[in-house]
Amino acid sequence: MITKFQVAYKNLLRKRVRSLLTLIGIALSAWVLVSLLGFNQGYETSLNKDIDNMGFQLMIMAKGCPYEAATMMLKGGTGLKYMKESIMDDVAKEPEVEKTTPILMAAVFDPNKGESGGVAGYFGIEPKSFIEMKPFLKFRQGGWFTEENGYEAVMGYEAAELEQREVGDMILIPEKNVQFKVVGILSRTGTQDDGTIFVPLKTAQKVFGKPDEITTLGIKVKKGIDSTRFEDKMYQLPDVQVVSLAQVKQTIMQLISTAKVMVLSIALIAILIAMVGVINTILMSVHERFQEIGILKTIGAMPGDIFKLIWIETLMLCAIGGVLGIGLALILSKVTGVVIRYLLPYSPSGGLVLIDLKLILFTLAAVLCIGLLSGLYPAWKAGRIRPLEAIRSEIG
Amino acid sequence: MPWKKREMRAFSRKLIHFEFCNLQSAICIETFWALLLVLAGYAAAWGAVGCDLNDPDRDVTRLFPQSTGYKTNYVSIDRKGGEPLLVKIETRLGDKFHGIYETIDVPYTIYEIFDNKKKIGYIHGVNQKGQFGGIQVFVSLDLEGRIKAFYIQKMTSKYAGKLRDANFGRQFLGLTLKDFELYDVASGKASGRVDAIKNPAPEAEADFRAALRATKKNLVLMDEFVYLPQAVSSNPGGTQK
Repeated sequence: MITKFQVAYKNLLRKRVRSLLTLIGIALSAWVLVSLLGFNQGYETSLNKDIDNMGFQLMIMAKGCPYEAATMMLKGGTGLKYMKESIMDDVAKEPEVEKTTPILMAAVFDPNKGESGGVAGYFGIEPKSFIEMKPFLKFRQGGWFTEENGYEAVMGYEAAELEQREVGDMILIPEKNVQFKVVGILSRTGTQDDGTIFVPLKTAQKVFGKPDEITTLGIKVKKGIDSTRFEDKMYQLPDVQVVSLAQVKQTIMQLISTAKVMVLSIALIAILIAMVGVINTILMSVHERFQEIGILKTIGAMPGDIFKLIWIETLMLCAIGGVLGIGLALILSKVTGVVIRYLLPYSPSGGLVLIDLKLILFTLAAVLCIGLLSGLYPAWKAGRIRPLEAIRSEIG
Repeated sequence: MPWKKREMRAFSRKLIHFEFCNLQSAICIETFWALLLVLAGYAAAWGAVGCDLNDPDRDVTRLFPQSTGYKTNYVSIDRKGGEPLLVKIETRLGDKFHGIYETIDVPYTIYEIFDNKKKIGYIHGVNQKGQFGGIQVFVSLDLEGRIKAFYIQKMTSKYAGKLRDANFGRQFLGLTLKDFELYDVASGKASGRVDAIKNPAPEAEADFRAALRATKKNLVLMDEFVYLPQAVSSNPGGTQK
């Protein structure tokens, strides 16, 4: 015996081009939807990974907005604020703290970079504690400093590329005219480390005239602690500011929220267009089969049977369209990622579009629900067709 | 090209401006770090390193005063001719490409310069390893390959000021690849017009020789990419301003 599914399938095949165009509409909507949701979770996952790669969750800096320092650095000056290195001992005593690492940032104006000069940035670090914070750092060439107060430098991937440096080459700190030997070049990390030149902390303090001073203290806290309470506790230290990387993440997410809203709007419009397409296709189908539905009713089909038949057609269209769209999104996820990376001012490293099974099932369910909603009216209308009126009509 | 540096910079500027204007001081620290992340992304944009003008709109006008517009083309040895072309370029240069940055896949940016619709020349730069850092050497050339301007965009050296000085650059004006063919980059020996170029900082002999090598490399590359009959001077995919 022929089932309702077979009847629905055959009905869809009657008008192949129309069914195909409707399928394409649904597939495109599903593609946009799954890519958007994939971007939503992919971007956040990659951003979290990048922030984790910073190695520490909290930073302590001297009071006075570092934002101003950033402005000054960009404009070619310095103006960074400093705090005593001894703060490290105070912080390390806290039971919530797992590890700490001191950093001395320095910016030097180089008049021979470009037409109007540029700023070269250096990070004085204590190799032992810094490596513990960032065990994922790998070397393209060489390794870390051999002496705590030696004149050696480790360069991030991009910094080395720009300066055309290899292990064994020399670099010169402008203004100071101090030479450092390059002992290591890091592999690409996709983080700010790529553009950084690291030198031993003690040497940096000496060269930049900041003995026993640092700009930043990176803190890794123990798992499961209340970070807000810990931040409040750190604020009790004199003349410091606490920066939580969770806040950094929030800021970046705010920056890209406009882009997200725009894409979401496009997705919603696409879904609406697809819905209208489905309603139109099924309504046309019902209209063309006016007499046929009337005959079905005269031979005993109940309104519920007609309703189900039409609904199954909608379901089939949406299921096939949804699967095609998800397939398209999976195949093109890397291309979508490249396009998004091109458009956004900042993109974290790693995949930007993350499509997993949960997302696939969610999208499929959403497309089916939207399709079933779209099929409601045409199915209801078909169920209400009066048999005699239909048979007498000249349509079909 | 995966990234357009200028567009990235313009976007970052807008972003920074937005941040400057709108965020309250309470979240300024987050902004600082967001900014660092943006700059990290920007740094990553430099990629497998080519040599672009920092500000083409400004620099093209300065290096080619009669220009009214320019078109940017990207060429690499591996796309243009692969290994045989690399060998040919190395032979003409008189030195091997060495190190981890002077490779076959380096993207070279060639700016085609226009006076209205008429092409009047080119600007091209190369990276060169210097004693203390990368040196970026640009030349602007007329349609016959004659140097019209010489510009060291970036150099790290105690004596960078002397080598970047306009007086040093003036010594290169009017020279062609033919003049540089007489310069041996391996030994630093020259004859003819190149020999007449005076080093303004004898203490920085290594960087002086690096600048000469970069100029010769620049001219050889331009000859292979643009001036030789088989070279295609215009890339249909280039962007015009």
